[in-house]
Amino acid sequence: MRTYTTNKSDFIFTFFVYTVLTLLAVVTLLPFLQIVTLSMSSAEIVNSYGFHFIPTSFDFSGYRQVFHNDLIWTAYGNTILRTVLAVALTLVLTFLGAYPLSKKFLPHRTFWTGFVVLTMFFSGGMIPSYILVKELGLMNSIWSLVLPGAVSTFLLLIVRNFIHEIPEALEESAKMDGANDIYILWRIILPLSMPVLATVALYTGVYHWNAWFDSMLYIQDEKKQVLQLVLRHIVLDGDLAASGTETGQTNVNTESMKLATLIVSILPILCVYPFLQKYFVKGTLIGSIKG
Amino acid sequence: MTKEKKRVRSSASILLCCIIAAGMLAACSSNNNNGNSASSESSTPSADAGNNGGNQSTKNEDPVTIDWLAYNSFGQMTPGNTIDKMVSEKFNAKFNVWYIDSSNWVDALNVKLAGGEMPDVLLVKPDFNTISKYVDNGVLAPISEDTIRQFAPSYAKLIDQYDLWNTVKYDGQIYALPAININGDYPTALIWRQDWLKKVGITKIPQTLQEFEDALIKIRNNDPDGNGKKDTYGLSDYAMPAILGAFGYPGISDFKNAGKGIVNLDYIQKDGRIQLAAIQPEMKDALTLLAKWYKEELIDPEFITSENTGGYWADSNAFYNNRIALTGKGMYYHWRNKMNPNAPDDLGGGQYQNLLKAQPTAEIAFGTPPVGSGGKSGTIKWGVNAPPVGITTKGAKDPRKMETILKMAEASITDFDYYNTTFRGVEGEDWKEENGSYINLNPKITTADAAKKGIAVYHMIESPDFNKKFDAFNYQFADSVKTTGYSPFPAPTVDSFTKYAGDLTKLTDDAYLKIILGEASPDSFDDFVKKFKANGGDQIEKDVNDTYNKMVGK
Repeated sequence: MRTYTTNKSDFIFTFFVYTVLTLLAVVTLLPFLQIVTLSMSSAEIVNSYGFHFIPTSFDFSGYRQVFHNDLIWTAYGNTILRTVLAVALTLVLTFLGAYPLSKKFLPHRTFWTGFVVLTMFFSGGMIPSYILVKELGLMNSIWSLVLPGAVSTFLLLIVRNFIHEIPEALEESAKMDGANDIYILWRIILPLSMPVLATVALYTGVYHWNAWFDSMLYIQDEKKQVLQLVLRHIVLDGDLAASGTETGQTNVNTESMKLATLIVSILPILCVYPFLQKYFVKGTLIGSIKG
Repeated sequence: MTKEKKRVRSSASILLCCIIAAGMLAACSSNNNNGNSASSESSTPSADAGNNGGNQSTKNEDPVTIDWLAYNSFGQMTPGNTIDKMVSEKFNAKFNVWYIDSSNWVDALNVKLAGGEMPDVLLVKPDFNTISKYVDNGVLAPISEDTIRQFAPSYAKLIDQYDLWNTVKYDGQIYALPAININGDYPTALIWRQDWLKKVGITKIPQTLQEFEDALIKIRNNDPDGNGKKDTYGLSDYAMPAILGAFGYPGISDFKNAGKGIVNLDYIQKDGRIQLAAIQPEMKDALTLLAKWYKEELIDPEFITSENTGGYWADSNAFYNNRIALTGKGMYYHWRNKMNPNAPDDLGGGQYQNLLKAQPTAEIAFGTPPVGSGGKSGTIKWGVNAPPVGITTKGAKDPRKMETILKMAEASITDFDYYNTTFRGVEGEDWKEENGSYINLNPKITTADAAKKGIAVYHMIESPDFNKKFDAFNYQFADSVKTTGYSPFPAPTVDSFTKYAGDLTKLTDDAYLKIILGEASPDSFDDFVKKFKANGGDQIEKDVNDTYNKMVGK
């Protein structure tokens, strides 16, 4: 606080930083405002030139068209279920996988770490993955969306590095007090790892919220499909249909509807993000500084 | 000691390598086994069904099961709906209707095909090159012409009439059933702002290139929108192919797509040979004129990023925002400005409505493409060929499936009730007949909802006659504004086209734009042609002519 008055160069620096950050915020927010405005505007405003940051007249036909589709509600449910399930599973597996790898006394630790890292560089590709999921009998079930990506190598390494930073003395002292390994993991390591686990949860959550390609490949039943795929359908099929052979039909798809779709799909993540953000920054930084 | 240790270690590592390799091989071979067993499993029942087909007299009542993908899967059909029941009963068949994400059809289907799953019958999308790919990968089975003519004689005659067999042939054999989109027979529309023309004193819709130029100059200079600023232009990218058309087949039929790198190379037949339209010498004159117009500011300088800056592809934001006077690319039904007297809430074509929302006092007129000095004129026609229907190697194993599929194609051509039900829906629910005209009861139904009810799932082929009968008002209007048009020559698919077309499109777009913008002189067109030919153009033309001649038996 005192820096404002005591030092002129500090003041200039702060002023500069705030100006840049404000500009950055404006540059990011304006396109978003444009989209929000257009999503609730009528066709003539959408088609007109110029900027539209503040809605002048309201027309919610775009939203009406999006929500007219019954599938969207089941799809919302599927996405929420998928995200929750995947986040829980990923947290448990990643944490349990990272803890042993962070211990120096793990036999053949370099080999196991290398083995895990290897999967980051080589993957089976789309068709082998498809055959694998099919042969495992996961087709058309939510497990086909959750299991294949349950452990992300990248996140596993971040968590491993984070745990590695926790002083070993803490564990030793607990051991002297008679705590067993499970107790140590549960009562000492887990609470201390919260920031990095929040990061993992956010990463995984956002990934699963946005994912649609796996749902397209593995899920045949429309009622089991995820939100992003259904929204994609609503947006793209209007275009396809009207360019196809249907004669004399007015095109069902409008720009405001597309933008309404966009808002519908990002709103939940937008609401969750501010609460997780502080962990997000902390977690990635702490995990990545020292290897 | 150390040597010993080293040896042990190295032999251990060799052993480890062997184990891993063995593991991989085992995984592969077990995979193969699985693949084999899966395919043999799937082939056994169909072979059985084939026997059934042979003994039709004894086991006639067993319905044949068909894995169906011969439709645009905009939505997932609910099995057992009225239409599904009708078709199943009529052909004594059971349909297992596949659902492939229509917005990502190619990827989603290819993974399934590679994973060893195959429908019996499918739509071959997105373009004709897909046929050769599918044949090489053992997906599509040949269909003998005799079989087609035996089970679907009227259908075969219809395809004769539109001369579409070439489009589905590969190595001289038919690999798919051609389909028709009759709208492709109507050239894309050329739309004038008629109120602007009137304002600058032009009463007759321009016909020749000279009249076009006069009109565009007046629109540029005489402030037709009355805002006191010189901010109106003549045309932008959507009307450009029509100007090129005054000289010959437009070398680029869609500037926006070409700019995005989407293949835009059309074939024409000239002097008995199939040639590429982009490098015809008459395009040099056409580009010279466009360069002159650009210099005179008749062309909107923003044409490079297209007059469609967002929204549905037929929308022209520049046209809606009083920037240009002439647009194109859309179809008659996008711009229809005459209302159907039998449909009281008819507001006209979607783009016409959009224009009126933006400029309530605007009036439009359907123009005719300019006639050049050589008497040539026309806008782009899509061509009547729609995605054809292929029968897979799995489906072809059973002659009964083949027969059923062909009979279905025949029914959609010969049976108006069948066409109406499969393509338009259930009478009284989706449409009704009133005084001889047909009225759509759910004009705003989405394609996804329609597919759910089974509409447009089983129709396979759209009959042009039935389309015109059902949609009489629409096609009367279409005929009243029909102009001359160019449609691409339906040439056979060749590998070299797939290989070079992308780069050649970029080359063409680059050369054309540079000439129009005045960055290169029109004479650079000759260099462009040379480069084009050397980089695959000659190869494509040679291959396509060889293949075509072989196909037609020359």
